[in-house]
Amino acid sequence: MRAREWLLHAEDAGTTFGFLDDGAKKDVRRALLKAVAIPGYQVPYGSREMPLARGWGTGGIQITLSMLLPHDVVKVIDQGCDGSVNAVNIKKFYERVAGVSITTDTREASLIQTRHRIPEEPMTDRQILVLQVPYPEALREVEPSEAQTRRMHSEADYARMWLHLYEDVVHFGEIRISYRYPCTVNGRHVMDPSPIPRWDVPKLHMADTLFLFGAGRERRIYAVPPHTRVEPLEFEDHRFRVEDFAGKSCARCGATDTFLDEILGPGGSRSHFCSDTGYCDKRKATWNRS
Amino acid sequence: MEPLLRARGLTRRFGPGCEACMDGTGARSESNRCPVCATVWACRDVGLDLFREEALGIVGESGSGKSTLVRLLHFDWPATAGFLEVARTPALEKVPDLFHEGCAWSRNLLAMDKFRQRAVRDAAMGIVYQHPQLGLRMGVSSGGNIAERLLSAGWRSIGAMRERAGALLERTEIPLERMDEPPRNFSGGMQQRVQIAKALSGDPPILLLDEVTTGLDLSVQARVLDMVRELRDELRLSMLVVSHDLGVIHLLCQRTLVMRNGEVVESGLTDQILQDPQHPYTQLLVASQLQ
Repeated sequence: MRAREWLLHAEDAGTTFGFLDDGAKKDVRRALLKAVAIPGYQVPYGSREMPLARGWGTGGIQITLSMLLPHDVVKVIDQGCDGSVNAVNIKKFYERVAGVSITTDTREASLIQTRHRIPEEPMTDRQILVLQVPYPEALREVEPSEAQTRRMHSEADYARMWLHLYEDVVHFGEIRISYRYPCTVNGRHVMDPSPIPRWDVPKLHMADTLFLFGAGRERRIYAVPPHTRVEPLEFEDHRFRVEDFAGKSCARCGATDTFLDEILGPGGSRSHFCSDTGYCDKRKATWNRS
Repeated sequence: MEPLLRARGLTRRFGPGCEACMDGTGARSESNRCPVCATVWACRDVGLDLFREEALGIVGESGSGKSTLVRLLHFDWPATAGFLEVARTPALEKVPDLFHEGCAWSRNLLAMDKFRQRAVRDAAMGIVYQHPQLGLRMGVSSGGNIAERLLSAGWRSIGAMRERAGALLERTEIPLERMDEPPRNFSGGMQQRVQIAKALSGDPPILLLDEVTTGLDLSVQARVLDMVRELRDELRLSMLVVSHDLGVIHLLCQRTLVMRNGEVVESGLTDQILQDPQHPYTQLLVASQLQ
């Protein structure tokens, strides 16, 4: 059933388009607008019950549902993979409640929902990326109290976070954070870029795309608007750096410029594969053709 | 001589306050707790001038409001009422919107947002608390404790911070090889010296000392006091010294305020107050000193 027919059908049947009712969509959209207006600031909102347990992407799902239109083309990935259980279930859910079409091609998608990765292919200003966030609070690592972290954000008091990095460098010679690397957004708020690897952090900086972050369990929404500065915390004499895959390449498509997953084979052999399966498939198809 | 810090009418109360408070509490009555509404007036209408390169003592018994006063001056606690201003110095010029055009004194610091209060604190003040747990993070290395203050002031080079922390720890006689050890491994005297190093990290003109030697044994007390006195002369610090120990005040301070039930009852030169106390409470305090 095509999207427009589906929409008409849904209205006839007296059900709402895209699962959420108008009140819920309004609430989420209002939070989104505020989040875009204050880049990196966590906006509280009334997280709704979803037909999934909290912690399985309900924050991202609510953002996506509140924005979906019948003509949207949606891509959902989980750890870079289009085919994992979480991604497949969420895609089925969108097909069922909104009748939108689904793709695995980053270029084709108008809206991409993701967990743990940003696609390798560069995105445009006509696309929106929605991230599912388990822990929205970047300062949670150093401060357990929510009241305190809110105070620290409001006063831009980030010395504790910096101290955390300093201690890492002093004791281990390196900053040990591999994902959730704290970033300063627009020179003001320190933000948790959700659990994306360090590899993906530079993709947020001055990007063409709108990034929306939704934490359903923690009831927070935040955003990085297009062309916004996103700078990882780093010292003058100890720079931020991404994962090093020198000398390694994807065993499937041969890519050397992507984020690689290490797979242990029988007998302890190690091989590497692109974490972004959509991109890997595409490369492989091109390679076979030529 | 010019004042560096000026406070007027500093007040901090815990409770709603009522009409009976004025008569029921304060220096003339038995307590700082109102018998009618149970409001505690921890600090009431305290005024002080801290001059450049001067050490000002504050004495009084437990619960007289000494530590509250220091916490108000360091912006740890918000004041209920009062006026606090700081003189224009080169280090403070970079704090946005702190001074009026051409004015030698700042705006009221107590009415400012926390952001600028912290900037003033980072640029102008260092504090040493009675309990090292208040001033230090026991789980973080000693060097890191000093670095935290520098990071807050905008330092972003690990090499430069370690150099500065190393110099300060050396100055306060902490062995350099223990720089990356957390202060919880240290003795009380050493912890106090790490606190002093941390307080001095931003090169502040003002040092607040809240009962620095209380709880240390006599020989360690002497060593810490010697160090404070040397640092005062070497770095030309203005100090506010809070103590219930008249010996400490006598050793360090030129001028002294005597507090009781949250109010200042007597102020003057230290020698004068110790030799010829005027207020009955001060007389009692001096008379009760161990000979």
